Amino acid sequence: MPNINILTVDDSVSMRLLLRAALTKEGHQINEAEDGVAAAEWLEHHQPDLVITDINMPRMDGFGLIEHIRAQPRFRDMPILVLTTESTAEKKARARAAGATGWIVKPFDPDQLNSVIRRVAH
Amino acid sequence: MLRPLPTSAPQQRRHSVMQGESEVSSDANLVLTTILGSCIACCLYDPRAKVGGMNHFLLSLPPHAAPDDIGAAQRYGLYAMELLVNEMLKAGAHRSFMRARLYGGANMHSGMRSIGLNNSQFAQQFLAADGIALAFADTGGSSARRVDFQPATGRIRCRLVQDIVPETPPIAQKPPVGEIELF
Repeated sequence: MPNINILTVDDSVSMRLLLRAALTKEGHQINEAEDGVAAAEWLEHHQPDLVITDINMPRMDGFGLIEHIRAQPRFRDMPILVLTTESTAEKKARARAAGATGWIVKPFDPDQLNSVIRRVAH
Repeated sequence: MLRPLPTSAPQQRRHSVMQGESEVSSDANLVLTTILGSCIACCLYDPRAKVGGMNHFLLSLPPHAAPDDIGAAQRYGLYAMELLVNEMLKAGAHRSFMRARLYGGANMHSGMRSIGLNNSQFAQQFLAADGIALAFADTGGSSARRVDFQPATGRIRCRLVQDIVPETPPIAQKPPVGEIELF
């Protein structure tokens, strides 16, 4: 698949570094935001191919970010993957209702993550 | 300044935090306790929210780990730390007010000298990268430790335990991987 532009959103610097290592291995271009607010600000002027977001973050959490993104028609078809330590059915259903494309529970396997990206990115 | 835990308190409950677990609480009658060898326990406390938590993890690195094994172990360590931090945040703590104390990371088994050190270094690097202040670290050596932590006050007592071998030598096992679901 061609290299794509991915926005990763996580309040943990360590997690963002780990994601960067896993995704740049495939040649993707990575942009990072530390929470939902920083991501929303960046998205005002950019159009990534895919967003990977954590759920538990300060200021704006992952649910709020997904709702914010889906409220904009230009992001209607952009895949949004949730990458989180959470695994309850209730939170998964909430993300799905908000418009998430998929749910990945940490710890993640880089090869599996890249495989999912290949499936959902167009 | 943190004071030593009282030796006994009325109606005090004790929860053991086992390897792979983490627990966060603001219950004044609760003491979190664990026994560590080469494993690490990170105790976080937010004095403003008066909430604390402890985890207990091992990177599970074999003596001659391949790069893939190292990556998997670090992802697991990261998961263990993030789980604890997330539970602290949900309980009202703020990252900027959290203070961390690290215990364990002993070199319990000859020929596996770097296991405890790796665990300790990993935890310190995580805290530094994620902006959580490391208030104290009691790591290394060759003795097991028993840690008692009162999460509501942040009081901690750590004792060296000479006659306990708390864990089997770390084996080359793959850390767990979380589930994936596409909607």
